[in-house]
Amino acid sequence: MQPAEIAIFSIGAVERMLDVPAATIRNWEERYGLVKPERSDGGHRLYTRGQVEELRFVKEGIDRGLQPAEAHRLLGEQLARRSGVRSTDASEQAPRLLILLAERDPYAAEFAEFFLQTEGYEVALALDANDAALKLEQRLPQLAVIELLISGGTGVDLCQRLKESGVPACLVISTLDARDQALAAGADAFLRKPLDPLQFVSTVKDLLGKSAFLQGATSL
Amino acid sequence: MSERLVSGHSRLDGVLGGGLPLDAINMLIGLPGTGKTILAQQYLFANATIERPGLYLATVSEPFDKILRYGQSLRFFDPGAVGGSVFYEDLGPALNERGLAGVVEQVTALIKERRPGIIVIDSFKALSAYAEAAEFRRFLHDFAGHLSAFPASSFWIGEYGEEEIAVAPEFAVADAIISLSTTRASERETRSLRVLKLRGSEFAPGQHAYRLSANGIDVFPRLADQSDITSYPLDEARHSSGIAALDDMLADGYWPGASTLCAGPSGCGKTLMGLHFIFNGVRQGEPGVLATLQEHPTQLARILEGFGWSVDEKGVELMYRSPVDMYIDEWVYELLETVERTGARRVLIDSLTDLKLASPDEIRFREYMYSLVQRFSRQGVSVFMTSELPDLFHVRRLSEFGVSHLSDNVVLLQYTRDQAIVRRALTVLKTRASRHEPETREFRITPEGIVLGDPFIPEQSFD
Repeated sequence: MQPAEIAIFSIGAVERMLDVPAATIRNWEERYGLVKPERSDGGHRLYTRGQVEELRFVKEGIDRGLQPAEAHRLLGEQLARRSGVRSTDASEQAPRLLILLAERDPYAAEFAEFFLQTEGYEVALALDANDAALKLEQRLPQLAVIELLISGGTGVDLCQRLKESGVPACLVISTLDARDQALAAGADAFLRKPLDPLQFVSTVKDLLGKSAFLQGATSL
Repeated sequence: MSERLVSGHSRLDGVLGGGLPLDAINMLIGLPGTGKTILAQQYLFANATIERPGLYLATVSEPFDKILRYGQSLRFFDPGAVGGSVFYEDLGPALNERGLAGVVEQVTALIKERRPGIIVIDSFKALSAYAEAAEFRRFLHDFAGHLSAFPASSFWIGEYGEEEIAVAPEFAVADAIISLSTTRASERETRSLRVLKLRGSEFAPGQHAYRLSANGIDVFPRLADQSDITSYPLDEARHSSGIAALDDMLADGYWPGASTLCAGPSGCGKTLMGLHFIFNGVRQGEPGVLATLQEHPTQLARILEGFGWSVDEKGVELMYRSPVDMYIDEWVYELLETVERTGARRVLIDSLTDLKLASPDEIRFREYMYSLVQRFSRQGVSVFMTSELPDLFHVRRLSEFGVSHLSDNVVLLQYTRDQAIVRRALTVLKTRASRHEPETREFRITPEGIVLGDPFIPEQSFD
């Protein structure tokens, strides 16, 4: 099972993540029946990451001025398109957004890769700058996440090279407070390590414009 | 965002320089029964949120159900939070089936799934039995690597002795080490907390007393104020002692914020002199605290009634504590809080002799008294302390614990023998920053309280 399909979020957590009251989320479920969470043994609702993104899509539609019913109709269309593709041939699925993760610390890389994949992104992991260059040749990522101290502290050079190579956005991460260095090298954002998962994925989303799920679905 | 992890107990956070560093590996060590599990759960419930929950991971020494069963007796334990913001998991099966690798796998999976802000491993020491030294070090490197790569504070609990700190490799990995211990002297048990290591932060050194209760750990930081040479305002209006003739001997009473030691043998009138001081202040609108370890409130009420006073008078706060099983640390903090709460300007401590018995050692007692007197002085709160002298006659020594030299004023009460009659005598031995009459005067205890008589003439004997 893909991480995005594991039901892990309580309705309280979803309420906080989306800033939508739990009662409203329950009401949408009863009225439109599109986002149906799993139920725990105790009867509690549990949402997958994908379902959270679906609800986020609805919320963003309402924020733009749509009625809840209209926002759900659009979501239904998106879901129908996505499931249609999946039901025919997986090879026809739209390529997911690719993120190049250049991280020297295998433990930090393991978590960062997991959180990005959970959000639906494809991740190319490089544990040193040479490996990052090889990955770049294979496919241009939409975003690079670069650890400043990779390959003996050459993260700044790597960031400059990636930007020159056409990588649209670079997020530099480091345990050190090196914002100035990162920004001078062309970084679009800087985050201190250890990475807070929510802050990390929301920064990635901000840099990419949309979530991996919605971009993938929209591009179909 | 706070850079410190708070415990929910401000005094403990104060000992730790404001709290533990965020996202650190913290070790809680101590023998069984010292409260390690309680303290860890205190941190857990104080910090766990739905977004960043707390994980309590039991290994193989502390039965999982037992932690939960006893945990429920703690007031901060919120059963409603379990399964929402606090998760209890058992690492025992993974450990038994796959060894330390199973622990790394399960903890890593839990971090990915729950995204916790705080992780407790109880007991961490039990893990060392699952590997030889070299393998355990590899496990430590791997495990600490995972924990350091994720923004979570972790607590590793273990029944370690302090002597193991130099040899057990996990202590080199830890960012903070807190030791909990219990010492027994006669029938008195004293619990103390020590911070042995705190990376990148200052902390209050030494032993800090603590109590365990349903509220969790209640810490009473060692009161050892450094000498403070910054100036503070002094009030010019003197405080009456409550005894007119004594005020005359003191050049019109005590300075506000002054500390006065009244020493004398049993029954000589020390408590009464202190009561004069308190009730004189109360009747002038200055609230006072009667901090007594001597008379039970019922006995005290009868004594007060005899002199026309009452503990029920507005502005009087009685703080009675039995010296049995009392911690001086706890008592001092209670007194400081009582003075702050009531806005008291005068305090009677009756007596230092009892207080000394509640103190684990003489140095600690002196530190406490020095700090207490300094704090009150800076606040302009006047303190009157009584101290019992063993000799009924022929007083040769004032105090066995050095409080007289830190007191601003010292008043000696003693008995004298005149043929078959025992009389009481008062001498002002010391008044700091003030003159005083050095003569020794007889005094009597009357229904109106202490009444000073004439000075003794030189040929009168003190035998």
